[in-house]
Amino acid sequence: MRKTVLTIWICAVFAVASIGLLPAASWAEPKGTVIMFHAGSLSIPFEAMEKAFKERYPKIEILREAAGSQACARKVIDLKKPCDIIASADYVVIDKLLIPSHADWNIRFASNQLVLCYTDKSRHADRVNEQNWYEILQEKDVVWGHSDPNLDPCGYRSLMALQLAEKHYGIPGFYEAVIANRPQENIRPKSVELVSLLQTGNMDYAWEYRSVAVQHGLRYITLPVEINLSDYAFDDFYSQAVVSVTGETPGSFMDIRGQSCTYGLTLIKDAQNEEAAIAFLDYILDPEGGLKVLDEMGQPPFIPCRVPTAEMKAKIPVVLQDKVEVRD
Amino acid sequence: MKVREPFFWVTISSGAVIMLFILVPLVEMLTAPSLTQIMETIGDKHVVRSIRLSITTALSAAAISFVFGTPLAYVLARTDFRGKRLVESIVDLPIVIPHPVIGIAILSVAGKNHWLGMILADLGIRVMGSVTGIVIVLTFVGIPFYVNAVKAGFENIPSRLEHVSRSLGASMFSTFFRITFPLARRSVLIGFVMCTARAISEFGAVVVVAYHPMIAPVLIYERFEAYGLKYSQPVAVWLISVCLILFLTLRILTMKSEKSP
Repeated sequence: MRKTVLTIWICAVFAVASIGLLPAASWAEPKGTVIMFHAGSLSIPFEAMEKAFKERYPKIEILREAAGSQACARKVIDLKKPCDIIASADYVVIDKLLIPSHADWNIRFASNQLVLCYTDKSRHADRVNEQNWYEILQEKDVVWGHSDPNLDPCGYRSLMALQLAEKHYGIPGFYEAVIANRPQENIRPKSVELVSLLQTGNMDYAWEYRSVAVQHGLRYITLPVEINLSDYAFDDFYSQAVVSVTGETPGSFMDIRGQSCTYGLTLIKDAQNEEAAIAFLDYILDPEGGLKVLDEMGQPPFIPCRVPTAEMKAKIPVVLQDKVEVRD
Repeated sequence: MKVREPFFWVTISSGAVIMLFILVPLVEMLTAPSLTQIMETIGDKHVVRSIRLSITTALSAAAISFVFGTPLAYVLARTDFRGKRLVESIVDLPIVIPHPVIGIAILSVAGKNHWLGMILADLGIRVMGSVTGIVIVLTFVGIPFYVNAVKAGFENIPSRLEHVSRSLGASMFSTFFRITFPLARRSVLIGFVMCTARAISEFGAVVVVAYHPMIAPVLIYERFEAYGLKYSQPVAVWLISVCLILFLTLRILTMKSEKSP
């Protein structure tokens, strides 16, 4: 009798133990490197996400490269650089350049807004405010700049904000007058580069995303919602702004219409480490994971994240599908 | 036939590996664009302007290095003093500092947050986004090459020639200009070429200080980012060709001056 009890007991222990072991055996932990190209304005939140993610998956190495969003796409298309994930400061870049040749879907995961940054050393820092910034930018001794509209979405968005300011405040000719006070030398390839110009006192005011201003501890002026491109409910108003940027070949141009700042995320089709990349995407899209980090760093996330159509949702890896909703 | 030792074959094969290592990517890049693309590119006034700016700023940097670097090279070659090693290491510093760091360092003294930047601003001199800024950066990265080449040249001139000149009553100035400098002419020219070459190839430090006006390497980068490889390669082909012609001419000039005396 005692023997039987013992046998049953031992069997039970083994059974429980093997149930415990079973998933561990069949579920191999993803490992290896994940290569990610992302917009310069995402550098700081992704650095924090990478750290937190590595605690969950110590065997995965995330290699990140920051560049202008368009340049990120170029690295994949032209240079054929191996890449798993692309995060763009404008989801349109993914639609325009990567789908359908290099990617199948495009998740909108965060928004942002434009602000005018300055430091306490900037000229007229003591008196600049929401009511007079557009006058200060027209003053001769003020050095202000934005990033290159041909390379960086923040660049054309800065110009759009100025065009919208002309409409919103009702000052005819404002856009041309203010641009005339911004020599070409004040343009930089990426908006984040303007931060060091502000901090070293080479520039007084610079157009940035609010997230960049928060992350770098810069002072900034919050602009009216009609100007700052933050809310897609205002997309109709934003679309009045049109900026001409360089097209496919030197000398050709195309028009970009104003739209709210919406960030896009995609997985490259022939990703070299799809399994680990999906694990990272799963973390990024998690409201308690990556999206929380974004929120803390001044980049309001969409919870849940969005895709425009049900067809596109069907193309997303199954494990990620419950983290997105279909919403135009 | 003479039997070669294995050592000979080791030297030959490693030499061949290095030649291929350098030439294969360059030849690939030079031959990738079609002739029509190359011809179209040189009709683009932005390209012509950027190449011209690259050459003039690099030559200016070399000229500044010549004026300020020659006396320093002479002092380092001829005298021994406490802290000479330190001075030599400082001269070499720009070679080891990462290029963007050089750009940031220069910007941080040129801004209004620094007394030097304040003085420059009062004088109306602008470093950020100006030709002045580009020349400053290129001089910074090029000057070690000039000083080191010329120092080696001065060291090879026997100092007894100078002693003879001095003992015959020539001043230090006239000894330098009539004896030492003419003898070191070749190393001065080599230093000049090295400095120009280093300056013309600089990208990382320049793009931090001045994106516009664009020197050729910055334009190549901008073309690549905005339009892709197809439109950046032809510009690179022109830059390389112009540089090759420039340096070949300088080489030929040196060879001539070598024979003439």
